[in-house]
Amino acid sequence: MEKIKITKMKGLMFVGIVFFLLTFGCVSLEEEPKDFPSPENFYKTEQQVISALTGSMGRLYSQWDNYSYPWGAFHTDYDATANLVFEASHNNWIWRAHYGALAILNNVIQALDEGKTEVSEAKKNELMAQAKFLRAFNYFSLVRGYGDVPIITEETDIVAGEISRQPISQVYELIISDLGVAYDYLPEEWDPALAGRPSKDAARALLAKVYLTMATAPLKDASKAQLARDMAKEVMDNGIHSLVPDVHDVFALNNKLGPEFMFSFNATPDDIATPPQIWLPWTMANGWSDFSLKKAWTDAYPDQPRKYAYMIMEDWDGTPYEDYSNAPNLRKYVYNEREDMERLQSWPNIPILRYADVLMMFAEADNMVNGGPTQAAVDAVNLIIDRANDGVANPNHPRTTTSMSQAEFDAAVIQERCYELFFEFDRWYDLIRKEILCDVWDDQPDVGPNCNEYDYLWPIPQADLRLNELMTQNPGYTTPD
Amino acid sequence: MKVKLLQLAKVPKRTSFFGLLTLCLFLIIALTTDIAAQEITVKGTITNEAGEPVPGVAILIKGTTSGTISDIDGAFVQDVSGPEAVLQVSSVGYRTQEIAVGSQTQIDVVLVEDITALGEVVVVGYGTQKRSDLTGAITSVSPKELTQLPLARADQAIQGRTSGVYVLNSDASPGGETIIRIRGLNSINGGNQPLVVLDGLQGGEPLLRTVNPQDVESIEILKDASATAIYGSRGANGVILITTKHGKMGKPVIDANVSVGIQSLARKLPVMSAAQFANYHNAMAATNTGGGNTPILPFTDAQIAEFESPSYGFGTDWQDVIYETGVLQNYNLGVSGATDKLKYNVSTNYLDHKGILKGSSYDRISLRTNLAADITDWVDFGMNYMFTKETYKSPAFRRREGISFTAQAINVAPRWAATEPVYKEDGTLNLFHNPQYGANDTWNPLASATEPEMDRPTYRNNVNLFLNFDIVKGLSLKISGGAILVNAKERDYYNLNTNEGYANNGAANLRDANSEDYQNSNILTYTNTFADKHQLTVTGGLEQLYGKWYTTNTTARNFIVDQLGYNNIGGAQFLTTASYAGERALLSYLGRVNYVYADKYLATFTYRADGSSVFGEDNKWGYFPSASVAWRISEENFLTGSSVVTELKLRGSWGKTGNQAIDPYQSLARLYSEPGDWGPDYPYNGISPTNTGFAIGGLANPNLKWETTTQTDIGLDLSLFNGRLTSTIDVYKKVTDDLLMDRELPGYIGISSIIDNIGSIENKGLEILIGGDPIVGNVRWNTSVNLTANRNKVLDLGTDERISYSASFGGYSMSNDFMILEVGQPYGTMLGWEFLGIWGTDEAEDARSYGQLPGDIHIRDVDNDGDVDLDDRVIIGNGYPDFTWGWSNLLTYKNLELSFLFMGMQGVDLFNQLRIRRESYEANDPRVLNYWTPENQDTDQPGLIDGAYRESQNLTSTVYVPGNGRGGEVSKWVEDASFIRLKVITLAYNFDRSILSKIGFNKIRVYFTGTNLWTITGYTGYDPEVANFTEQDATIGVDLSAYPPARMYTFGLDLTF
Repeated sequence: MEKIKITKMKGLMFVGIVFFLLTFGCVSLEEEPKDFPSPENFYKTEQQVISALTGSMGRLYSQWDNYSYPWGAFHTDYDATANLVFEASHNNWIWRAHYGALAILNNVIQALDEGKTEVSEAKKNELMAQAKFLRAFNYFSLVRGYGDVPIITEETDIVAGEISRQPISQVYELIISDLGVAYDYLPEEWDPALAGRPSKDAARALLAKVYLTMATAPLKDASKAQLARDMAKEVMDNGIHSLVPDVHDVFALNNKLGPEFMFSFNATPDDIATPPQIWLPWTMANGWSDFSLKKAWTDAYPDQPRKYAYMIMEDWDGTPYEDYSNAPNLRKYVYNEREDMERLQSWPNIPILRYADVLMMFAEADNMVNGGPTQAAVDAVNLIIDRANDGVANPNHPRTTTSMSQAEFDAAVIQERCYELFFEFDRWYDLIRKEILCDVWDDQPDVGPNCNEYDYLWPIPQADLRLNELMTQNPGYTTPD
Repeated sequence: MKVKLLQLAKVPKRTSFFGLLTLCLFLIIALTTDIAAQEITVKGTITNEAGEPVPGVAILIKGTTSGTISDIDGAFVQDVSGPEAVLQVSSVGYRTQEIAVGSQTQIDVVLVEDITALGEVVVVGYGTQKRSDLTGAITSVSPKELTQLPLARADQAIQGRTSGVYVLNSDASPGGETIIRIRGLNSINGGNQPLVVLDGLQGGEPLLRTVNPQDVESIEILKDASATAIYGSRGANGVILITTKHGKMGKPVIDANVSVGIQSLARKLPVMSAAQFANYHNAMAATNTGGGNTPILPFTDAQIAEFESPSYGFGTDWQDVIYETGVLQNYNLGVSGATDKLKYNVSTNYLDHKGILKGSSYDRISLRTNLAADITDWVDFGMNYMFTKETYKSPAFRRREGISFTAQAINVAPRWAATEPVYKEDGTLNLFHNPQYGANDTWNPLASATEPEMDRPTYRNNVNLFLNFDIVKGLSLKISGGAILVNAKERDYYNLNTNEGYANNGAANLRDANSEDYQNSNILTYTNTFADKHQLTVTGGLEQLYGKWYTTNTTARNFIVDQLGYNNIGGAQFLTTASYAGERALLSYLGRVNYVYADKYLATFTYRADGSSVFGEDNKWGYFPSASVAWRISEENFLTGSSVVTELKLRGSWGKTGNQAIDPYQSLARLYSEPGDWGPDYPYNGISPTNTGFAIGGLANPNLKWETTTQTDIGLDLSLFNGRLTSTIDVYKKVTDDLLMDRELPGYIGISSIIDNIGSIENKGLEILIGGDPIVGNVRWNTSVNLTANRNKVLDLGTDERISYSASFGGYSMSNDFMILEVGQPYGTMLGWEFLGIWGTDEAEDARSYGQLPGDIHIRDVDNDGDVDLDDRVIIGNGYPDFTWGWSNLLTYKNLELSFLFMGMQGVDLFNQLRIRRESYEANDPRVLNYWTPENQDTDQPGLIDGAYRESQNLTSTVYVPGNGRGGEVSKWVEDASFIRLKVITLAYNFDRSILSKIGFNKIRVYFTGTNLWTITGYTGYDPEVANFTEQDATIGVDLSAYPPARMYTFGLDLTF
């Protein structure tokens, strides 16, 4: 009996313990982030802001992704895979990539505006100028591809409501305003260790391109031609950027940060671009030729040193391309050593802005402003033609002259842009703004019939239409039910 | 809630549940021994099937209350009234036997274990119950079934043996994961893995994989809400309870088991010989005449003559090159026993498995200690401790570990041509395929298999301690605490002979992942019987779980010295390091009431409240009730005397369970950084090193909460003829709401989605289990059949009509949505183009209207709009089976034992992705030799059409399917993967006890087992069973070249002394 009593007593004691435990369970249900920052605590230092700008570019460019493997996006006349068949999902990635980058940039701009970043006024302006340069670049890509697009800035409250597409002209207002800040506060030159960042010349060149695009389709605001010309001229007069003298060295790896390249998608040995196999024929490093040139176009390309510099006319063994392939492959982005390429390593930059482009923008705008080619315009283009011909007069590809009509010169410049800038990010937009998209396919029965006026704008992604009643589709594309 | 539990807890002294059982037993004994009307004295011994004596067996004279129980040696003596008397021999866990006394005075009884015994005690969540008292759907796998087979892993014991459980080997690599799904698929992103509870310790699949099957006493599978709701927010996917063995009263027992298995590839894919390959590829290349091309033929006439010469033979058979004979060795040693105060069971196990794929292996060392001790007469103490070290190695397959698909030996071997030598003339590995044909982006499969260096040990410590207080009679408190500590290390090096190493000039990955999970449960149990008819058990308590993990990853590239590998990452030029950490917590209050009236009417109510850290600020707590009732019709007067019906029980249950298996911090706004080529890092400054980037990882969602599954179950348990025929039938319906899903956001937001509770999924099913003993006597046959049919349907996906998954890795032209979840459709739905065959010469006009020629692939133009594009896709298959079934058998004759298990699936499709490569331009599948020609039109292989001829026809193709239908998501690659398989067959011999006792053994058993010996299937890939699971349940049914299964012959020996 005694024993049982003790048991009971102790038992009750343990009930007491349990009562304690039941009341107070000792785990906490609040979450404290462990391995990532929350947005409220970020953008405090210069480095944090730079890492966000970095992230915004990473959103656009990483191995196998987006602008690192983009060419199916641009159905240009030199591209062997172009067919101008645009499904409703065509180029949705461009929309998502740029808005993804913009979400990051808007946070940065807002943080800088609010003074959250603890840096000097000068540093703040420099950071803001970079952020706005990048924002302008993203919107410029969107407005050219899609026409009217939603404008989302640091002030937009996305949670609050649905958003509609804004007219092209308003998008350009934002772009020009952002580039104004970039123009004012970007440094003329960065320290060599930072040379990949956008400089003031990059802002000028981008402004020139924006104005030139505004002067052509769809806005056709002729008054912008003068502005485009002046901006390009500022770059030319500034003397920081210039053509690489030897056409064989334009894409050499040691020239990827200048003097000709002005702003690019960057790659480095520890952050390589998509493997070079995507460019190479099968006889070189087991190439895949994912992006290859169209036979008709390469046949028409003038026979000149530039052709051998920009195209793979023979493989490493000296075998001419005719013996292993239909058409030469692109050489621009395979300037790495053979050993690297066999190892799927390549780190070329893919230029977004380069000096040759500026020269031709100048020539095109100048021709518009003056009603015909001036000597300055002709000289600018001939710099490129001379380099393409290694400085030797070439009947296959003669210089431009002031005796050309305005239209002839304009056509020559656009054609030269194609020869010089193919497989960079220009030809598609040239075809659009010059309204010659269908013309260039005229004699190509496999693609030509697919071309129509709707191809000038890409489809708005279905998800955006489905999730926001205010969004409208571009003509010629399906809208979800 | 809390107060109620305590009030219940304070109800004073009554008998405990076990006490009640014991009391009943003693009552029987007392009553039976008291009565005396002796005419004949019968003696005997009771043994089990292994020949061991069984003490404590009740021997009752039928129709009376008199009887006795067997003693420690299994012996009994009983007086009976005469020869007409019948003895009823019964014991928990064994089938009751009736023996007519007749003229016998010596009656030796061999007890037969009763797998579905009604009297047996079943482990349930936070307690045990008599099977007859159950109101929920619980299936048990008995130790008998577990030990019959030379299983390396406990999870394999469930396969094919129980209804309602879908067990798949996700791959057949040594130590590969097993996928277990109980009653269908409830969740899309929250995971469908059942909760695994090992001796009360809650964890995941590794608990089941790493526990040594020899240590397992029983496995219970909780299926309906009545059984699982007590696990609240972790119960929605079902619960698997594993109970390990404890020492049993008597002298110490030493168990030793040894088995050795030999494995070989169960099925080889047919490939072309060198001569076939060269001829076909030349013929294919010869058609390349478009655009004025002169065809370049990959093989010269001289080469072809060489390949065709008899001395050359077949060429390189790459599957023979990468597969070899696998060996599985399993050693086990255990000691167990018990004294009055202490029960112990200590065992150790060593498993060594060299797989059939060169370079793959798994070994496991484990140690288990189970102790239980009575500290005083009202306090006992117990400890379960398990240590394991597993080392897993395998060349990459499917799409594991980011290894390029070009370097996955299993996928690539049947694609490499027989014309390719393994080694070059200089004796080094022939790393690259001749680029003139076929798979020129792939890597030598032998190099991919054997050259990577890997060391990947995982150390696990599971410990669980408890103190049990019998506070007053009927009321007990169990306080238990446990921890699961895991340290997983990976050290891999890819040298210059590997694709990864070559591309990166040497590549190393080092990973160190640690996790700690702690658990504390405080459970009060009160049990009592009122007025002889009202039996009540109340359980209540608190539980808390806390887990944290921290991981570091380092990748190193560009090594100055190739040979040093991961031991010298300082010698690498590029290093990226990342670390991750997180924690989660769960706080729970739980309660259960079991009520039984007159052994006839049963009811169970459970309730659990869970607070989870991983959910949004405004939704931290979830509540999970369940209720169930059962009626034992066989206890009603009109059936109690029945000689046919032994047990008939009707059950019904309803309840809610949850799923909180989602990563922490998902409800918070977050930024992230991620080293490597795909994250937000980018060389913004333009030069090395790359700048660290931060990007937006997610938006805040303070409302985020658990998924809720509401389940209704109706079941019937039937036992006829004293248990010779038993059956359990269940039908259920589950609806899961508030599915955790990525809610798609408009692209202009800049973040593709936010995780939210949207969507709903339904599962309905039927489960049938029939078992019995068709033959008894000298030859005994015990058999059991199970059949499961689950029907799944997506009810709602929020803003989406469809969610799609690409379900492919690169290189298959499968860039479109393929596996889809769509409202009204089930899991595993495949979307693609319908293959209608090859255009015949009589269909030339129709073909022409699509820009096609006779000999081209004919794809159905569903909307008849003149082109075949994305709008023409239809549902072309389903990867989830209509039925799964198993049929297990045990035949015994004297000392011989034959057991075998058939299992299968019906109505299941597999997308045989590898065929795309093997039958398109890579062409290494002999099927393509049957290509279309005007003379051979009855074929599904397209013709070889001359390019210049095609050009001359001036056609523009309007078939926008990759490769005009030779690639991509085309129904041609969807195959019926139904199968019937003799999964395992074992022949065993138990030596006579009489002989053994002379040499000091209790038991010697030798056996010979064959695994995967025989399969019937129409599937033409490696295997229909292993192939169909990828890492996402929604993509079930795509064969991504997983590690193929082996045929295995095992010899084993079990010793007990």
